[in-house]
Amino acid sequence: MTRLLFRYRRTLTLSSALILSFVLMTLQVRSESSLIDLTKRIVLTSISPLLRVAAASQTAAVSLWNEYIDLRRVRRDNQLLKQEARQLRAEVSELRESTLENHRLAQLLSLRGRLGAEAVAVRVIAKDSTNWFRSILIDRGTHAGIQRHMVVVAAEGLVGRVVDVTALTARVQLITDPESAVGGLLLRSRVTGVAAGTQGGAVQIKYLPQMADVAIGDQVITSGMGGVFPKGIPLGKVVRSSRPAGALFQETEVQPLVDFSRLEEAVVLKQPPTQESGWGGKGRLP
Amino acid sequence: MTTVLVGLVSVCLLQTMVIPRLAIGGIQPDLFLIFIFGLSLTAGPELATSVGFLVGLYQDTLSGAPLGLHAFTLSLLGFLVSYLSRQLRTSQVAAQFALLLFAGLVSGLTTLLLLRFFQVSRPIASSILWTVVPGAIYTATLGVGLLSVPRVRAIMRVRR
Repeated sequence: MTRLLFRYRRTLTLSSALILSFVLMTLQVRSESSLIDLTKRIVLTSISPLLRVAAASQTAAVSLWNEYIDLRRVRRDNQLLKQEARQLRAEVSELRESTLENHRLAQLLSLRGRLGAEAVAVRVIAKDSTNWFRSILIDRGTHAGIQRHMVVVAAEGLVGRVVDVTALTARVQLITDPESAVGGLLLRSRVTGVAAGTQGGAVQIKYLPQMADVAIGDQVITSGMGGVFPKGIPLGKVVRSSRPAGALFQETEVQPLVDFSRLEEAVVLKQPPTQESGWGGKGRLP
Repeated sequence: MTTVLVGLVSVCLLQTMVIPRLAIGGIQPDLFLIFIFGLSLTAGPELATSVGFLVGLYQDTLSGAPLGLHAFTLSLLGFLVSYLSRQLRTSQVAAQFALLLFAGLVSGLTTLLLLRFFQVSRPIASSILWTVVPGAIYTATLGVGLLSVPRVRAIMRVRR
């Protein structure tokens, strides 16, 4: 018997499985059977804890994944916002720069109008690369009608004079250059001297007599002597004055009104200003 | 036996939790069938039939099918595939695909016939066209892909 069963084990296994399946189906379809319920309950009970664990794991994994995705989104949004903030900061900076430039250009335009002289607005494109000279390079040359010895002014006062000209650029010697010499006049006491640059970048009034009336804060303008600089252009303020014993002249230092380190635009006077023109709203030229 | 039980549990979890996400047009592959197919390629007919019956019971319990429907189908398929795999050279991918496709079609048709036998109304033509054939193709494609993974192949290897 055992040998017979072993011999037909495959057929027996298959037929048993098929018959059992068929019986289960029949029982279930024909009527509600406790055997079916029991079988289902056993099978479900055996797998349901694992399903619950797996479902919980899946929920946790999905939650983790969603949080990860959210984090990535937040990170991406953060990067976008940072980029936007950078752009906005750059735009604000540009706008501020434009506002300042507009203000300066408006001052220059106003200056040109007040001078009543033919003038060319120029932009500073370079500054002297050595410590030995004080000069700037402007963006206009002979094509714009600029020639040597023309006077360069800014809204605050005298800048210098043109010393070299090319077709498209010109070099301007500042009043602080050691080689520069401008006829100066103390506005209050009407004493004249020569405003010369120094190696240190300051301006000294030379040849002021010992008895001349000089006070700290006195305004200095161009005297018009020498034929290059017209009279009445503001030059600076006296910041120091001394009378060395045994010397013929006073030693007077003047602070230029123009801040050359920040100078960006200026005006080149093609003709001397008229006597009727004013400067900086301070009335007629002296 | 441990391998079979671990595989059975894994297949139950995957089929109920992951595979539904892979459904295309409402058709999802049958991991239970792939599992029995892979087991039957190396296991003997008795084991394949028995495991097919057990797996079928689980599939019936986890689905809305009458208890015994897939137990019948999978035990039959386990026996058939195990028997055929000895006659055919099933190491090639094309042969595996053909055999798995055949198994899928047999499974689908058997299920359809059993359902009709037990008065569960299912239209034959549209069921074959829209359920049996697409399901068999999808299952065969996924099954061949899974069975070609060496690790899966090693797990499925059960001594006869």
